[in-house]
Amino acid sequence: MTLNLYWRLDPAAEPARGEPHERPATGYLPREARTRSLTRYDYYAQVARAAAITGFDGLFVAYRPDSDDSQIVAAAVARGAPRLRLIPEFPSTVGSAVYAAKQAVSFQRATHNRLGWAIVSNPADEEDAERIREFLHVARGVHGQQPFDHKGQFFAVQGGGFKAPLANVPFPPVFLSGADEAALQLSAHAADIHLFDDVDLDRLRERAETLDRLTLAADRNVAIGVVARVTARETDDEAAGAGGEGIAGSYAAVADRLVALHAAGVTHLVLSAPQSVEEAYRIGQFVLPLVRARTSALRTAA
Amino acid sequence: MSIDFYWRLPTHGCHSTIRHGSYDRGDWSPLAPGNQTPGLTAEGEDDGFRYIDHLAEIAKAAELSGFIGGLIPSFPNTDDPWAISPLLARETETFRFMIAFQPGFLDPVHAARLSASLQRATGGRTVFNIITGGGGPSQLWWGDDFTHDDRYGRTTEFLDVFRGVWSGQPFDYQGLFYQVEGERLSPLLAREEVPEIWFSGSSDAALQSAAKHADYYLSWLEPYEQLTDKFARVKQRTAELGGEQKCAIRVDLVARPTEEEAWRDVRIGFENVTDETRAQWRGQPTDSIGASRQAALRPTEAKRWDDLIVGKNLWGGFNLLRGGPSLGIVGSYEQCAEQLDELIGRGADAFILAGTPHLEEAYRIGEEVLPLLGRTAAKQFLLEAAE
Repeated sequence: MTLNLYWRLDPAAEPARGEPHERPATGYLPREARTRSLTRYDYYAQVARAAAITGFDGLFVAYRPDSDDSQIVAAAVARGAPRLRLIPEFPSTVGSAVYAAKQAVSFQRATHNRLGWAIVSNPADEEDAERIREFLHVARGVHGQQPFDHKGQFFAVQGGGFKAPLANVPFPPVFLSGADEAALQLSAHAADIHLFDDVDLDRLRERAETLDRLTLAADRNVAIGVVARVTARETDDEAAGAGGEGIAGSYAAVADRLVALHAAGVTHLVLSAPQSVEEAYRIGQFVLPLVRARTSALRTAA
Repeated sequence: MSIDFYWRLPTHGCHSTIRHGSYDRGDWSPLAPGNQTPGLTAEGEDDGFRYIDHLAEIAKAAELSGFIGGLIPSFPNTDDPWAISPLLARETETFRFMIAFQPGFLDPVHAARLSASLQRATGGRTVFNIITGGGGPSQLWWGDDFTHDDRYGRTTEFLDVFRGVWSGQPFDYQGLFYQVEGERLSPLLAREEVPEIWFSGSSDAALQSAAKHADYYLSWLEPYEQLTDKFARVKQRTAELGGEQKCAIRVDLVARPTEEEAWRDVRIGFENVTDETRAQWRGQPTDSIGASRQAALRPTEAKRWDDLIVGKNLWGGFNLLRGGPSLGIVGSYEQCAEQLDELIGRGADAFILAGTPHLEEAYRIGEEVLPLLGRTAAKQFLLEAAE
């Protein structure tokens, strides 16, 4: 039971950082040497490299309609961060499921299969769960079968399906999320990994059991993940002083919590903290080694 | 006056020479010794390169040798331009990504956000080649069962919404195909320029849509008189409809130091065409008017390579040598430049050029043909005629 550790980039966070339009125009003593070709994307690329260098397995990119699109960001940083998996978050309303599958195939081919899909659900949209289910059915269908036919509520395909060399590319692992029974039901049928928010271990176990029951009934396997803000510092006091959001404490204390989640069955951890580059280094350098050492000891003991 | 020259990124593999039809660059043929991206190590294992690495080299060659960007085609069996463009954004500097795109693929508001983000990633290097025609089984393959004229209606509405939300103000729209309420791009995204839009399609439904939204009308190369008439008609009709249209041509070249060398490569290429290839290109079903015009040349039935010479330095058998349009230009560097000059005289404002192999020919045409433009006899003749 390997533990997968991801960093999460939020394109809307720290909006001034790397943004050419936010540079002070006047009253500035140092000579300005930054050109127009230095952009916010240089910052995104650095977050990705920070995650790769410090030993994260992958990078989630949050869906923020008012900021840069997650799929553009994921692709733009992919070639500069070898081996890092890239998981853009996006809703199922982006367009055709066939087209999404085709874009995914090209991304997989270009990056040695490093893509994941985190489908964002919208609880305010009544049809959303049904659309996600159909979106994934069609995307997986054209991806894995030829000819593939489908006529549903949202999508219709005739004689679909990819031919070599676009065929036989691994379909991206699908991450879904949500805490209620409907979300768990959807994941039982359509997700590869279900992501929970970080909650206390008892509630997490309870929801995980519900998911397991639904998954068993659907004759599938769904892994469990947790998404968490992290505030890690050298001491517990400093972490509390830094705002103490999310999983907060000394490096050892944060590692304890992550190991406890893993012991409770969590195999995917999606971590984030502002500011993204500095904290990726901090957590990657000081927390992940503790987690890795102890989870591999767990595996050996098991 | 300056002319925009684009190159083409072959998104379905490439041949190492126009003389042979084997796709030995990319993985559209089984991995074998001699293939590239992916290739084989000395030990006979996958060398880890991927086709995107080859596309990166072509894009770099094109921008180094003077092309403003490249068309990235989209067909069922190609890699996808929306995946390729952001992947290559950070390793190119001036190369414009001309994304071939069918409006039915993406929600228009999402497409606007994607485009603005790509503009930010590239410093404004996104261009759209909007494809509306096509039809036949491939449309159903894409999950699109719209009829020909409905598709142009949808394209118009798609671009209405795409531009509407780009204003940055809350935008409402009640169309037949799209309805939006209060949607907009954020100030961060709306600050970017709307991508230039290239359009094709010769039917009146297409021209109505183009007049409203397109910057360039794109045509495959056709016999020159026909093309001159078409450009004149497009410019006139779109002007009547209140638009202004520049015209562009997509054409392959075989340019060599001498005319003999150019025709020799074409002849060898023709002689190596297999029956299988002929069968593959024979009678491809489509309801695109432009494609039907090209098919009228019937190169699949030709017995001799020179039966397909349809004019000075014009050869009508290119679709036998690689997928795509049949008519192309063959000649010395000087002659190729003359043909392009003549097309400029006939109303072309921009070009998408291509040559096989795409990497090496980007350098050759960029270095040998483009610098001759505006200096050839054809151009001098036109200048004199204008006086």
